[in-house]
Amino acid sequence: MVDVAVQPNRIAPARPAARKSGLKTALKRKSTTAFLMTLPLILLIGILVVYPALYSLHLATLNKSMHKFVGFGNFIFLFKRDTFWLVVKQSCIFALTAVFFKVLLGFIVAHFVHNVPANKQRRWRGMLLVPWVIPPAMSTLAWLWLFDPSYSAFNYTLSLFGIGPVPWLGDANWARFSVILVNVWYGAPFFLIMYLAALKSVPEQLYEAAAIDGANWWQRIWFVTLPMMRNIIAITTLFSLIVTFANFDIVRILTSGGPLDHTHLFATWAFKLGIESGDIPLGASVSLFMFPILAIAAIFILRDVTKRGNEA
Amino acid sequence: MSTLAIDKAGPSRQVKHGSISRDRAWALRWSYFFLILFSIMALTPPLYMVITSLKSSAEISAATNPWWVFHPTLSNYKELLGSSQYLRFFLNSAMVSVFVVVITMLISVPAAFALSRMKFWGSATLATGVFLTYLIPDSLLFLPLFKMFAVIGDWTGIQLINRWYVLLFIYPTLTVPFCTWIMIGYFASIPKELDEAAIIDGASWLQTLTRIFIPVALPGLIAATIFAFTVSWSQFLYPMVFTTSTDQLVLPVGIVTTLIKGDVFNWGQIMTGALLGAAPPLIIYAFLMDYYIAGLTAGATKG
Amino acid sequence: MSRRKLTRRQFVAATAATSAALITAPYVRGAYAAGKVSIGFWDHWVPGANSASTELCKEWGEKEKVDVEIDYITSQGNKNLVTIAAEAQAQSGHDIFQMPTWWCHSNSELMEPLNDIMDPIIKENGEVNDTVKYLGQLDGKWMGVPACVGSQIKGPCSRIDLMKKYAGIDVQEMYPAGAPPKADNWTTDAFLKAAEACHKGGYPFGIGLGETSDNVDAAGAFFRAFGAQLVDAKGNVTVKTDEVRQVLDYYKRLIAFLPPDVAAWDDASNNKWLVAGKGAMIMNPPSAWAVAKRDAPQVAEQCWTHGFPVGPKGRFAPFLPFFWSIWTFSKNKEAAKSLLVHLSKPSSIEKMVNASGGYDLPAFEKLTTLKVWAEAEPPKGTLFHYPDPYKQQVMSIAAAPAPPKIAQQIYFQATQTKMCLRYAQGEKMEDTLAWAEGECEGFLRS
Repeated sequence: MVDVAVQPNRIAPARPAARKSGLKTALKRKSTTAFLMTLPLILLIGILVVYPALYSLHLATLNKSMHKFVGFGNFIFLFKRDTFWLVVKQSCIFALTAVFFKVLLGFIVAHFVHNVPANKQRRWRGMLLVPWVIPPAMSTLAWLWLFDPSYSAFNYTLSLFGIGPVPWLGDANWARFSVILVNVWYGAPFFLIMYLAALKSVPEQLYEAAAIDGANWWQRIWFVTLPMMRNIIAITTLFSLIVTFANFDIVRILTSGGPLDHTHLFATWAFKLGIESGDIPLGASVSLFMFPILAIAAIFILRDVTKRGNEA
Repeated sequence: MSTLAIDKAGPSRQVKHGSISRDRAWALRWSYFFLILFSIMALTPPLYMVITSLKSSAEISAATNPWWVFHPTLSNYKELLGSSQYLRFFLNSAMVSVFVVVITMLISVPAAFALSRMKFWGSATLATGVFLTYLIPDSLLFLPLFKMFAVIGDWTGIQLINRWYVLLFIYPTLTVPFCTWIMIGYFASIPKELDEAAIIDGASWLQTLTRIFIPVALPGLIAATIFAFTVSWSQFLYPMVFTTSTDQLVLPVGIVTTLIKGDVFNWGQIMTGALLGAAPPLIIYAFLMDYYIAGLTAGATKG
Repeated sequence: MSRRKLTRRQFVAATAATSAALITAPYVRGAYAAGKVSIGFWDHWVPGANSASTELCKEWGEKEKVDVEIDYITSQGNKNLVTIAAEAQAQSGHDIFQMPTWWCHSNSELMEPLNDIMDPIIKENGEVNDTVKYLGQLDGKWMGVPACVGSQIKGPCSRIDLMKKYAGIDVQEMYPAGAPPKADNWTTDAFLKAAEACHKGGYPFGIGLGETSDNVDAAGAFFRAFGAQLVDAKGNVTVKTDEVRQVLDYYKRLIAFLPPDVAAWDDASNNKWLVAGKGAMIMNPPSAWAVAKRDAPQVAEQCWTHGFPVGPKGRFAPFLPFFWSIWTFSKNKEAAKSLLVHLSKPSSIEKMVNASGGYDLPAFEKLTTLKVWAEAEPPKGTLFHYPDPYKQQVMSIAAAPAPPKIAQQIYFQATQTKMCLRYAQGEKMEDTLAWAEGECEGFLRS
């Protein structure tokens, strides 16, 4: 068991030439153990993530009954449909708008919580994170009932002020607003928590120095807070863009794609085409369309992560 | 050396002496005001769920003030908790979540250990790869997975669609990458002296892992466990696609697809169902809030 | 790493088999199938109506010593359609499934032929109407047994008091209980005038324009009343015709008198509209009235179900049959067939219709005069004209007479309601027609 005394990190690069002899046994043992430990992870990701992603490419080239190869036929068909471009546009607008407001709201409220004395912060944090803790399917049901055409509690309250019933889910633009509202309600607390933690790590001295130099609150945020938090903001924004872009639960429960398909996102439309209409290849084609956009976002995240890694 | 120039260059500043403490007092008041406002916004829907769950369907259809219960009743709760269908949903959700947490931990922890400590060929690529798979959304994978499982069911004769245990295969794709990421962060922050000491004492890798790393990184483990549980409990898309028979459903899908039915005023029961369905994550959150939050922030600040 | 060069099939099969076998061993279908029949019924909109079918199935199960497993699957959120699609893909699921309207045709390759039990049933119960044949038969092969449960006519259900007060129409006089209807003046124009009057009075008609079946059926009936077809019986796309233009114009005028959010209405919205007392009329079978009896009796007392208005090309009523079908992958077809025969006996049908309070409409000629419709109350006679006892209307279904596989997509994608909405919201007529033509061409894909 003496071989184990060697520093674990330095074995592989230290003796490239001698790999095949002598320490072969020891090496095999260490990297084999390491490999075995990561094998379930590799298998899981390989079989249930990477393979299906590639399989969906294959599926997208089949015809509706999946017996014939049609190459790009499904995509050409989709490109000619207005609804498809509508879904593309809506997904982008939804993702960008919702993420923007989530970041903004999270950032602002984090400041307010940060202002409160430290021992009181816990209870505010606790209350404000509740939307994120409740499973989204359940809370969306509450919103669905709040928006109900005949029994909306919001409309009831508004009617006390004389404002007419609002078609929360019935009019295309209101429906889009409602869906974004619920998504922001659900997601902003996450940002709040992240930014609060990041705010705490900004050194107090920087603020004091800025105050001494005569900076007002806006300048303090712009010149001190934002630069320090740039990385976390970038990462959370990009993460959220991807997750929001691929959202299914909220739209499905609230509007199922909404009046005249005006709230359909890629996920809900792929579900409608693939599962409800039984045309799996077409649904797969729609889902695949998310990929280029996600890939671009992923590249940006990766660049940022490695940059952060280098800085740290 | 401009100490005398402390006073105001900016036009927005007004008060001079004791300005900082008075500024802070106002900032505090505004902060409380907005915090109360935002708390109301955050808590209104859950509160509304509670209010509605106490109403009978006659009261709901009577369209009285929706924000108040005039004749509170626990009948919705009694019906649901006595309904074998709803309890079945609960049981399915519980079984799936618990098993998935166990599976996730069994996969993540050794993998995170290997990736953070045992640098081997390809470990850096693998770590980034794990992170990247988290970015492939479930809405991309659900269709090919559905078809794959149908095909496997065809070949092997084993029923893989419309069974709750199928979810045990699929949920880990959602939980494992992030949990691994969290654990790598926690493990990386454990000082190397600890394992060197262990190795000198003759411990094998497995012993190092179980005797040293796990106890030291316990907060991280708890955070990852909570994360895995919450994600499994709240899943909607995958169970929607893979389970359709009533006795195979988990809570989110069960409530949405069976409680919303022909009887149009079932909303009292629906809200009760949703509330009870949200209870486990909420309870865990109430008792383990700090671990919960630590898990969230760990991914970003520790990684 | 050479171990990853196994062919995909082998790898997947091996891993799946190993891991799945470990977990699924107790669940593999084995010899138990012989003594078990599983059914997916449609979850009824009338409270308590499911109990009749449960009892009948249990009764049969005890007699035949077969285990019966029943699932009640709602049509809200298309849950039943999603289930059908999943079972068709996975080629496994229930033995018997209650297929709505078009779904026998859309899964025709997986439907077990039922001519051997249908012929005796028709002999006993009488002939079926044309819509049932159109939806249930493919080249002479019966793909399902017409179910009384859920089969409905989605005709107008009006508020007697509001129609009298605002529209000046006495529906009880127009459709008297126990006597033939006097509805020659009940035209689509009269309908429009009544809609306007009730809208002005603050109690608009609740006719939805969403994408679920209540909405599609209402639009479909108007399309047929004007003779508008998107795809004709031969499969030609006939969108750009005058009749289609006429019905779009009609709907544009009608939409002005409907509640503002009808575009988002689902199948429950019009029920809620009526029971909340907000509207003077909805297009619905008696489920809304049944719920009102329980939750809002003062509204229920004023409900009257009657016939559809007559349009330029006739008086068509949306008729929606359900079918009980047996999947070809069922493991217990003989037992399933025997159960269907039991459920189609006149006594069984009568029991189910009674439990539904008259909602269910048997598809067979000899069974359209059950007492329940004459006796339903309050008010007495409210359902008398529901089953169209004087055969004043032509039973039809939205998107008919297009070939069923195409019509199903028109129906499911709600093309007709979408067209009406687009045009009413300001799109130019030719643009709407062009869009619909593109959609229909897409439906012709296979």
